[in-house]
Amino acid sequence: MVVPFVYAFNILNLYFFMFRIMVLLILKTKFERERTMDGIIDIKDLCFRYSQENEKLDLSHVDLHVNEGEWLAVIGHNGSGKSTLAKAIDGLIEPESGEIFVDGQKLTEESLWNIRKKIGMVFQNPDNQFVGADVEGDVAFGLENQGIEREEMHIRVKEALQVVNMQDFAKHEPVRLSGGQKQRVAIAGVLALRPKIVIFDESTSMLDPEGRMQIISLIKQMNREEGFTVISITHDIDEASLADRVVVVDDGKIMGDSLPEELFQKGNELIDLGLDVPYPQRLKFELNKRGIQTPSEYMDEGSMVNWLSRSILKN
Amino acid sequence: MDKMLLGRYINGESLIHHLDPRGKLFLSFYFIVIVFLCNNWETYVLMAAMVMLFVKLSDISLGFFIKGVRPLIWLILFTVLLQIFFSSGGQVFWHFGPFTITDQGLINGVFVFCRFVLIIFMSTLLTLTTTPIEISDGLESLLKPLTKIKVPVYEIALMLSIALRFVPTLMDETTKIMNAQRARGVNFGEGNLLKQIKSVIPLLIPLFVSSFNRAEDLATAMEARGYHGGEGRTKYREQEWRKNDTLAVILFIALTGALIFLRN
Amino acid sequence: MVKSIHIEKLNYVYQSGTPFSRRALTDVSLDIKTGSYTAIIGHTGSGKSTLLQHLNGLLKPTSGSLTVAGNHITSETKNKELNELRHHVGFVFQFPEAQLFEETVLKDIAFAPKNFGKSDEEAEQVAAKMATLVGLPDSVLDSSPFELSGGQMRRVAIAGVLAMEPQILVLDEPTAGLDPKGRLEMMEMFEQLHQEQHLTIILVTHQMNDVANYADHVVVMENGGLIANSTPERVFSDPDWLHKHHLGLPQTTAFAAKLAKQGVPFETLPLTEKQLAEKLAELMPQSGGELHG
Ligand SMILES: Nc1ncnc2c1ncn2[C@@H]1O[C@H](COP(=O)(O)OP(=O)(O)OP(=O)(O)O)[C@@H](O)[C@H]1O
Ligand SMILES: Nc1ncnc2c1ncn2[C@@H]1O[C@H](COP(=O)(O)OP(=O)(O)OP(=O)(O)O)[C@@H](O)[C@H]1O
Ligand SMILES: [Mg+2]
Ligand SMILES: [Mg+2]
Repeated sequence: MVVPFVYAFNILNLYFFMFRIMVLLILKTKFERERTMDGIIDIKDLCFRYSQENEKLDLSHVDLHVNEGEWLAVIGHNGSGKSTLAKAIDGLIEPESGEIFVDGQKLTEESLWNIRKKIGMVFQNPDNQFVGADVEGDVAFGLENQGIEREEMHIRVKEALQVVNMQDFAKHEPVRLSGGQKQRVAIAGVLALRPKIVIFDESTSMLDPEGRMQIISLIKQMNREEGFTVISITHDIDEASLADRVVVVDDGKIMGDSLPEELFQKGNELIDLGLDVPYPQRLKFELNKRGIQTPSEYMDEGSMVNWLSRSILKN
Repeated sequence: MDKMLLGRYINGESLIHHLDPRGKLFLSFYFIVIVFLCNNWETYVLMAAMVMLFVKLSDISLGFFIKGVRPLIWLILFTVLLQIFFSSGGQVFWHFGPFTITDQGLINGVFVFCRFVLIIFMSTLLTLTTTPIEISDGLESLLKPLTKIKVPVYEIALMLSIALRFVPTLMDETTKIMNAQRARGVNFGEGNLLKQIKSVIPLLIPLFVSSFNRAEDLATAMEARGYHGGEGRTKYREQEWRKNDTLAVILFIALTGALIFLRN
Repeated sequence: MVKSIHIEKLNYVYQSGTPFSRRALTDVSLDIKTGSYTAIIGHTGSGKSTLLQHLNGLLKPTSGSLTVAGNHITSETKNKELNELRHHVGFVFQFPEAQLFEETVLKDIAFAPKNFGKSDEEAEQVAAKMATLVGLPDSVLDSSPFELSGGQMRRVAIAGVLAMEPQILVLDEPTAGLDPKGRLEMMEMFEQLHQEQHLTIILVTHQMNDVANYADHVVVMENGGLIANSTPERVFSDPDWLHKHHLGLPQTTAFAAKLAKQGVPFETLPLTEKQLAEKLAELMPQSGGELHG
């Protein structure tokens, strides 16, 4: 008796789902005027709140400057406002006050679609960003939106799938893919659009270790070899350590801006900032507890291994 | 939710799989119309022969088609009985109140049964050999003229294709949440009606919440990838009309001719 | 020690008897002792979740059988007979916050005990206790679970499972998607339950550090079968074997392996930072920091 009922409900739910998407897409964001600036992204005194009833700002007087070709990691504990910041940069939410410049262009209602072409976004949940019926259809989705000719689309889709090493899966439906594979498809969808900036919002957090490492090395390749400006929002120490610079978000504010090595020196404080403590730091802490003195500056794994083996094997 | 085999696409490389979905869609509808031209044994046999030919060409075992009939069997039997009891004409075998069984009635009953089976086989053939996305693309092309009277055909087709893509995901979700609530001591489908309805609430609310969040995520992802309505969009998948599609249409025209010739 | 779970020749095939059938478990035999902390690891799709779902009868064996907390389950077992079993096995699914549905946090936590026959009052008492145990502030008990943050929702869901007061706690990647602080707090909480209430814990995870830090037993799965069933020390002592099966090492073990390559002598590779620091302290001259003071 219940099962047919559940089926019926699921169909209803599906209609609701479609309706909801339609409504959300029709409610578009609105912006104003224009001016130019240097730096690929410049944010000036940005404030935002999700609803007027909120007493607190969800983004509070944010200033941020991102250089072209840079890899910027954004960290912060759950609910600190990282995703909100990313959405603001892509014009997916409307700020209360403040200005955002992307590639010299001010984010306004007129420039919105142009700016979105320059920014690619990869989100957290692999399932909720797979729009197409199959892999190639999904990669092509953004291209279709830009009205690109079919021949050109075929070339770009093929290229993008090759970069993420998913060319053998072109005809696969999402149900037959693992989470990591879906994320690679999402990245291909971004690559096909040839943006200047790619924002990864916790794109590795729902993956198994193997999938996670693949995505991280893909991000590295995109930044180092292909020159994309990368903003990666993350709780992952491996991902953050590859960045050129790390900003800390807390309570909707930018609380810190430093090199990864500087930040990692903080040790146990990092846990409160939404990051793991790097392994060498944790080991140092345990060694110190046992009366062994360690070098005070930050050491990565390689140099820690070297230091330890040298001081042990010398005897 | 493992029972969702009905009408599910089955991968294949047959002639039928490779026909243009627009043609397939149109001809399936057309087939349903011309089934109603049948009114004697010759015409039904001809149609049955055609359907068997298509089934053979599709390389899919007959079992799948027969399974397609099963869920509708009560509806079919009911209609058949209606025909048998309420038809008049011909020799009367049995009579009671408003019920009569005549030879004409029996024959009509058999015909109605055949008609149902033919239609179900043909629709099953369409869904077994055509991916949902091809069907939705096909519909979009067939409905394109309606854009002239301001029907948002592109948007409807896109939403349809997204909904289709999410069917397995939502089914999975349903299984997961049912399992989670079972583990918390809910017995789905047991006890009296009130109890059963109550047991469904812990399932429906989480499903609703999750599809709400999903829709939100998906809309954000689509917008981030530059979706702003159907205007100015191009299409990645192309539909190609080949020789076989033209042949199929000719076959159906010939079939119509033959039916008109054979019927009385 | 008593066997809490006894699994014999368990086979499971999804959608068995259809063209979409798919074998997920092959001849799995396994014993789990009462009061133990067992970690199940393996590549994605190796059958971990499928195995777990048998433990409280959400799936029934295609062939073979298992006995859990005194309940025998085979392919023939009726759904009615499973209630007793489910009472004893608490199951925390992946992303368990998806199961929340009640108007208030307290009601949601009290849902399972009520289903298993406690009165409303008793159930809410247990619920309040469990809310404290998982670290939820009293102030949220009367608010809607949907107004909470992700981490708090996770806690509510876990409290809702603990409120059944199970003997066996099954955890399927319970910390996925949380930030490192949340992960640490959650794992410490399970450890506390294990220590204080002697719960039998079965944990599926991809985090080898958690295996090293908490488990006393490890089961490794591949392609629906068991390929190892041993202690963490033994399983992690062979990095090459793990690598061959696409599995990682705990950070400490990986780090120690690097040291070993440089010539630092280890009899066995350590599993936790504490063990490694202990060992290094032995090896080092106590005046240690000759480099930078
Ligand atoms: N759609 C929304 N409506 C209302 N409030 C929201 C919405 N999305 C987020 N918030 C609130 O805004 C704040 C910041 O959320 P945000 O998602 O930006 O955090 P985050 O840093 O990305 O966290 P996480 O690490 O969990 O992803 C939170 O307090 C959250 O509850
Ligand atoms: N409902 C289902 N129907 C058909 N096949 C399934 C179903 N659920 C799982 N499978 C298949 O069974 C196998 C084992 O899946 P399972 O979910 O148990 O793996 P897992 O080890 O838990 O993986 P993960 O680490 O990704 O959670 C996989 O090949 C999977 O594709
Ligand atoms: Mg976020
Ligand atoms: Mg699993």
